[in-house]
Amino acid sequence: MLTFIGLGLYDERSITVEGREALRAADRAYAEFYTSELLGTTVADLESAHDVSIEVRDRAGVEREPEEMLAAAESEDVAFLTAGDTMISTTHVDLRLRAHDRGIETRVIHGVTAQTAASSLTGLQNYRFGKATTLPFPYAHGADGLPASVTETIDANRADGLHTVVYLDIKAERGEYMTADTGAELLADVYPELVGVVVARAGSPAPLVAAGRMRELAERSFGDPLHLLVVPGECHLLEADALVELAGAEEDALDVA
Amino acid sequence: MGRRKKIVQECERLMDEPENIRNIAIAAHVDHGKTTLSDNLLAGAGMISDETAGEQLAMDTEEDEQERGITIDAANVSMTHEYEGTNHLINLIDTPGHVDFGGDVTRAMRAVDGALVVVDAVEGAMPQTETVLRQALREGVKPTLFINKVDRLISELQEGPEEMQRRLVSVINDVNELIRGMTEEMDDIEDWTVSVEDGTVGFGSALYKWGVSMPSMQRTGMDFGDIMDLERSDKRQELHERTPLSDVVLDMVCEHFPNPVDAQPRRIPRIWRGDDDTELAEGMRLVDEDGEVVFMVTDIGMDPHAGEIASGRVFSGSLEKGQELYVSGTAGKNRIQSVGIYMGGEREEVERVPAGNIAAVTGLKDAIAGSTVSSVEMTPFESIEHISEPVITKSVEAKSMDDLPKLIETLRQVSKEDPTIQIEINEETGEHLISGQGELHLEVITQRIEKNQGIPVNTGEPIVVYREQPQEPSDEIEGISPNRHNRFYVSIEPMSDELVEAIQLGEASMDMPEQERREALQNAGMEKDDSQEVEHIHGTNILIDDTKGIQHLNETMELVIEGFEDALNNGPLANEPVQGTLIRLHDARLHEDTIHRGPAQVIPATRNALHNALIDGRIKMLEPMQDVRIDVPNDHMGAASGEIQGRRGRVDDMYQEGDLMVVEGIAPVGEMIGFASDIRSATEGRASWNTENAGFEVMSDSLQREKIMEIRERKGMKLELPEIIQYI
Repeated sequence: MLTFIGLGLYDERSITVEGREALRAADRAYAEFYTSELLGTTVADLESAHDVSIEVRDRAGVEREPEEMLAAAESEDVAFLTAGDTMISTTHVDLRLRAHDRGIETRVIHGVTAQTAASSLTGLQNYRFGKATTLPFPYAHGADGLPASVTETIDANRADGLHTVVYLDIKAERGEYMTADTGAELLADVYPELVGVVVARAGSPAPLVAAGRMRELAERSFGDPLHLLVVPGECHLLEADALVELAGAEEDALDVA
Repeated sequence: MGRRKKIVQECERLMDEPENIRNIAIAAHVDHGKTTLSDNLLAGAGMISDETAGEQLAMDTEEDEQERGITIDAANVSMTHEYEGTNHLINLIDTPGHVDFGGDVTRAMRAVDGALVVVDAVEGAMPQTETVLRQALREGVKPTLFINKVDRLISELQEGPEEMQRRLVSVINDVNELIRGMTEEMDDIEDWTVSVEDGTVGFGSALYKWGVSMPSMQRTGMDFGDIMDLERSDKRQELHERTPLSDVVLDMVCEHFPNPVDAQPRRIPRIWRGDDDTELAEGMRLVDEDGEVVFMVTDIGMDPHAGEIASGRVFSGSLEKGQELYVSGTAGKNRIQSVGIYMGGEREEVERVPAGNIAAVTGLKDAIAGSTVSSVEMTPFESIEHISEPVITKSVEAKSMDDLPKLIETLRQVSKEDPTIQIEINEETGEHLISGQGELHLEVITQRIEKNQGIPVNTGEPIVVYREQPQEPSDEIEGISPNRHNRFYVSIEPMSDELVEAIQLGEASMDMPEQERREALQNAGMEKDDSQEVEHIHGTNILIDDTKGIQHLNETMELVIEGFEDALNNGPLANEPVQGTLIRLHDARLHEDTIHRGPAQVIPATRNALHNALIDGRIKMLEPMQDVRIDVPNDHMGAASGEIQGRRGRVDDMYQEGDLMVVEGIAPVGEMIGFASDIRSATEGRASWNTENAGFEVMSDSLQREKIMEIRERKGMKLELPEIIQYI
């Protein structure tokens, strides 16, 4: 049995109760933290909190050499852990399909993800989001300036009146996390006057939500990672009220329907 | 005032009169006597004493050159010569004739407008005569011919007038045939064949310092009969005094070589791809000494006191101390510390060097041989293409760890001075690799490191550079990224020789405007549609993007190319470079989000796809070949041809020439290692020989596996081939 368990957003207590029970019952646990990390805890704290030993695998260890995990899952209960939810962002559906190929039973235990936090902390309605995109560090992509995938996504969503979640690049192996001011600075290149909403440290005891024009956000600082940005599209009245109240947005700057 | 000082002053005066300047190179097959000829010219111009010309070898300045008796680096010198009442400034570049140093010849040609081709009367036009001629003509450099060692025909071979005439005419015809063939398709060049009647052919003996040509006969009243009489009766000093070689040749240079004002309008379009309509282009065409500075570096030398010296041709503007100039391919500017001209092996500092001249400059720390240096940012001169790729590699390591930093610096310096040398620095193991044109080339370089820099080094056995090339078109192959969200569909096919050559010669490159590249590729036989979709050229391999409107492929292309380049640099058989492959990218499926189609995904996917396609196209190992020519007395002919055949070589021709037999053949470079000493002992030292790189050939099937495993073992690779390779 291979159980995919989402660890949630922030620390060892962000996992669901069901996830915790499944993890404790597992014979072995593997985890990857190259997609995202739990900044409120460490692997050691996770291990002692759940009384298991966790083997952390890098990208190659998951994508190219999944053999060991799959072989173990043939005879034992194996848990595969990621921050957030295991099937959002880096979708580990490939690993799940490989397990099925070998006749291994699988199940998924959900975790809270940044995608839902973006809705719930800002008050923007889940129904009104378009495609999400990731803003990579400039050194990590081949484009001049903003990658077209980012601008095209934002432009297409806005044309339809939809909000966009912009994930900010994480290079966990290098300890680099793009902060919202950096992200806003990159976006300000194309969208200086556009309103963005910063969501910082979602899932922690002290999350922060702040709205402003990109060029203004670029000048501010939002504390420890992880951060993400939301680019609101056309706002419903109640959404606008929420952004003003919860994120300090200026009503005039918003596109209210 | 010393004589030398006077000459420098006269040179400085003449530099401002481009009509009276001639920039020339002397080019020839090894041992046909160009350095001796150069010394004659220097003596004629009063730069070295008359008696020592021929023995002094003033232009062979490096110790190892004088020891070996051959010229290794191109050296520069300026001299003056009075022709028809007007004093002329002649800037001469001597070039090496040995094939191992071919890169220097090409670079020298970029700086000059005329090439004096020297051919030995006894040996006639040789393989390298052809090579140097081609190098000259491709650069738009006009040739004239000097037939040397005529004294041997008269005194040694005792030839009569008719016999001699037949021989000389046949040499001229051979050279003209080469010139005609090479210029046939050059629209900017009229008839450049040489003839006695026009005065573009001279004869003589550099050793005995006499010469003759149609104009000189008219001037001195000495005809061939008079010359033969004097030569036969051993009155060579009289012969020299009555018809000195230097006058014959320098007159020919002044009369028949174009001055910069005539040459540059024709040569600039040939060697520079920038915009014709700019002031900059105008400045170069007009040889404008007040225009923007444009200086093409053809050589970097080392001076123990002054440091790096960049020499080359000033095409426009004037070089002066203190100028801040751009160096192509680098950011920022370099400041000129001094400018000078060459007088023999020495540099003379001068105030300024105006357009049309050869200059020697210090302070250009970022320049390498081939750089364009200019006062405004500009399209660089077309990269100078070298005909020969490196075929042999040697490891070098410092005997003492303390010398390591100095060795690395020296190796970098060496590759700056001679771009045909490639170096690979490995700071971890301390074992660095240098690759070059042949065994001798590398030997000379390592000796220089030891002698000039005083760094004792250990060198490894010479290692031959191999190639890998597919033999047939492949099917469409899928490459999957590690996360399996990205897929690339690729096929390959072997490229035609014509297309490969067009790339090797730089006729088609990614540096040139797209339209021009398309035309060049179509001329080399590429389909029109393909030529419009060329995405990248790497080595002699071309990537064609056959995809249509795939979202996000644009921003992923750089990674796709990176993966392909990696696969091409390290072929699937033995990590040797892949050559002559046309790659088609048919289709791609990409993940929506950039993060999931980053380098860690795309590079392995495209690399694997290409390797599998190459294997599907039955990729095989190729080895470098050398043409070999041995001149040997009849009774040693068997031993000489045996030396070729015993090296997996093939003898193509054997024929009599004079009193010697000529054996011509071809053999693998790998087997030619140690040839020099073997042929010497096999023929009791009676053979003279010459080799020329002849490209790569597919190894026979029976040798493939053995060679692959040998290389894999040397490189510490797994000793088994990927399972899908079934055909080897």
